[in-house]
Amino acid sequence: MLDNLGSNLKDALRKLAGKTVIDKAAVEELIKDLQRALLQADVNVKQVMQLSQTIRKRALDEQPPKGVTAREHVLRIVYEELVALVGKKVEVTLGKQVILMAGLQGSGKTTTTAKLARFFKKKGMRVAVICADTFRPGAYTQVKTLCDKVNVPCFGDPSEQDARKIVRDGLARIKEEVIIVDTQGRHALEDDLITEIIDLNEITNADHRWLVLDAALGQQAREQARRFHEAVNIDGVIITKMDGTAKGGGAMSAVAETESGIVFIGQGETVEDLEWFDPNSYISRLLGMGDLKALAERVQESIDEQDIDVNAMLSGRFTLRDMYRQLEAVNKMGPLKQVLSMLPLGGMELPAEALDVTAQKMSKYRVIMDSMTSVELDDPTVLNGSRIQRIARGAGAQLEEVRELIKYYKMMKRTFKGLKGGEKGMQRLMKKFGKMG
Amino acid sequence: MFKALKEKLFSARKKLEHSIEETTPEPARTPEEVPAESGSSPEVLAEKTQEPSLEKKTSPKFTDKVVSFVRDREFIISEKDVSGILDELEMGLLESDVAFSVTEAILSRIKSDLTGSKRKIGKSVDSVVRDALSEALLGVLGEGVDICSFIREHERPVKVLFTGVNGTGKTTSIAKVTRYLQNNGFSVVLGAGDTFRAGAIEQIDVHGGRLGVKVIQHQEGSDPTAVLFDTVEYARAHKIDVVLGDTAGRFHNRANLMNQLEKIRRIIKPDLIVYVDEAVAGNDAVIRAEEFQKSVGMDAIMLTKVDMDPKGGAAISVAYAVGKPLIFIGTGQGYDDIMAFNPRDVVNDLLGDA
Repeated sequence: MLDNLGSNLKDALRKLAGKTVIDKAAVEELIKDLQRALLQADVNVKQVMQLSQTIRKRALDEQPPKGVTAREHVLRIVYEELVALVGKKVEVTLGKQVILMAGLQGSGKTTTTAKLARFFKKKGMRVAVICADTFRPGAYTQVKTLCDKVNVPCFGDPSEQDARKIVRDGLARIKEEVIIVDTQGRHALEDDLITEIIDLNEITNADHRWLVLDAALGQQAREQARRFHEAVNIDGVIITKMDGTAKGGGAMSAVAETESGIVFIGQGETVEDLEWFDPNSYISRLLGMGDLKALAERVQESIDEQDIDVNAMLSGRFTLRDMYRQLEAVNKMGPLKQVLSMLPLGGMELPAEALDVTAQKMSKYRVIMDSMTSVELDDPTVLNGSRIQRIARGAGAQLEEVRELIKYYKMMKRTFKGLKGGEKGMQRLMKKFGKMG
Repeated sequence: MFKALKEKLFSARKKLEHSIEETTPEPARTPEEVPAESGSSPEVLAEKTQEPSLEKKTSPKFTDKVVSFVRDREFIISEKDVSGILDELEMGLLESDVAFSVTEAILSRIKSDLTGSKRKIGKSVDSVVRDALSEALLGVLGEGVDICSFIREHERPVKVLFTGVNGTGKTTSIAKVTRYLQNNGFSVVLGAGDTFRAGAIEQIDVHGGRLGVKVIQHQEGSDPTAVLFDTVEYARAHKIDVVLGDTAGRFHNRANLMNQLEKIRRIIKPDLIVYVDEAVAGNDAVIRAEEFQKSVGMDAIMLTKVDMDPKGGAAISVAYAVGKPLIFIGTGQGYDDIMAFNPRDVVNDLLGDA
């Protein structure tokens, strides 16, 4: 999802980074680019206009704090305003609770219900689902099938027409801690259905009322969210179908309208495809500023400082020894792709194959490198046919595997070199900015 | 449908007229004198046109205006006249969910149509603006499709395949189209080609039962091509007019799912591929429609959930992106909530007085 809206915004900021003077014209140009990016992402037109006014006013009126250049100052304003746009962080508690799902037809409520059931179950809660969709044919079968998959009990009755009765009966019967009520799709102009969800909200006395919205939703999102909010006081938004090409801007507008925040993001058709949402990390990754906070946490959790030396990697002195350390660290830190997405790379695209090495291969590589001499680790250029043969024999590996390792090393080296060159100005800027953030 | 857009267009049009009238060269004085004289004799006409050009050699633009005003009884509309109002029109289109790229295309078309164009004195400002807008919108929406005559013109069974991304309302639309075709005297069989989503087969089966049509189905997870193949065979054997094939919703960026759809197309050879999308979709409507068009193609578009978002800008976006006509719009949850789409009516309605 980060690739979607991101590249447009990154381009806008990169342009700013290339400017020698940050004057009124530069700010106007940035705002124009931002508007374009946000409108293309379906953020509400009125919101975009408001946002650009705020940014313009702050960028031109506010004095940058001491030691901060005008450029960094403008960047920071953009960052803060965008974070404000996606709303506050919604805390998800692990305790006894009833969650009422609301949303338009076809937004993905039922699939999301199953994903949530799985999420809470994985966290060690006892979960049950009530199917209150009495309208759409096959709705109960769908919930039931999905619940069976994640091993969660599902209450419902396909022959019952009254959703209120099902929910009442279900609540009386269910003893689980977390109860998720899946409802029929409805939209703001269907008054009887809006009345129904108001009733369901009263009957369940729900702790959370989450609005499920399709990422592709356009300008209508704001209006729909407003009506739902009036009806049942929405306290969180779940954006679905982020695995497509839609950018979710409509859902962001919905967040602003309900003054809530995004709770989860759904990005796939299987029950595992649910991501918890943090607005700060989201925006920083979106702008290519990296998520240094998350990275720092991750690093603290898992590794000693000398284990992985980002600066050495970026400086281009990247030897097999560095790669060895990196592989060690990666084991503890999680996939390289995730780690790199937290670095302030200013929106560099990394070659997919560089990141696509399986954990199994990683451990094989380590064994092979264990069979190398110090000279070879520090200066891989000395590796020749007979050395490769010796290494392979020592590691119990095939000759091809050793060659593959060398190839992988060269590719990594090229990748890091690429990071360093070309985008130098941007990178330094982003790094500095990261420190401020 | 298109209500909000209609209001916006109306106000933009009013302003556009206003501004054009303001900028025409001294319209208050000249209209009474000039038309009468220039119409009477060619000599007077020649005199009149030369006079101002001699006087104002430095400003050919002005002379042009006067020449064309006097000789051809026309005004020239300049870019400056329209730019402010076009900005407002842009907002209107964007707020109605017409995708960004499509909005820009429509506007540049209107702009190039209007600016530099000459307006006959006899012709009202209203009709000039109206023509430009209606031209641009009709150019986007194209001609509609009449499914009944389409079926009559083709060999039975006519095979219609429904495609689209997840949750746009393919299955519900199939049920509605079934009812529509039944009302027009055709027999229908349904193919439960969504074998992926839990409960999808159940859903179309219940629809089939309620509408009294046969639903050909296999088990969940089976090959959709096989299901649809059997459906076509059934239609052949039972002399049924139309096969409506459901498919699982899929995202255009999933190569293997799109390949599956391509396989269905190859084997079943549908006569009509209907791409289903929802009225509430924003900019993404354009991207996914283009991708579907590229990979499996489409012959017509059905826009659903128009009751949810009566602004209907998505119709304009999708139609513009793929250059295919709209066939139906879905306007609610009931089987009868379906309308055949007629672009001319819609545009006329759109440009009517709000």
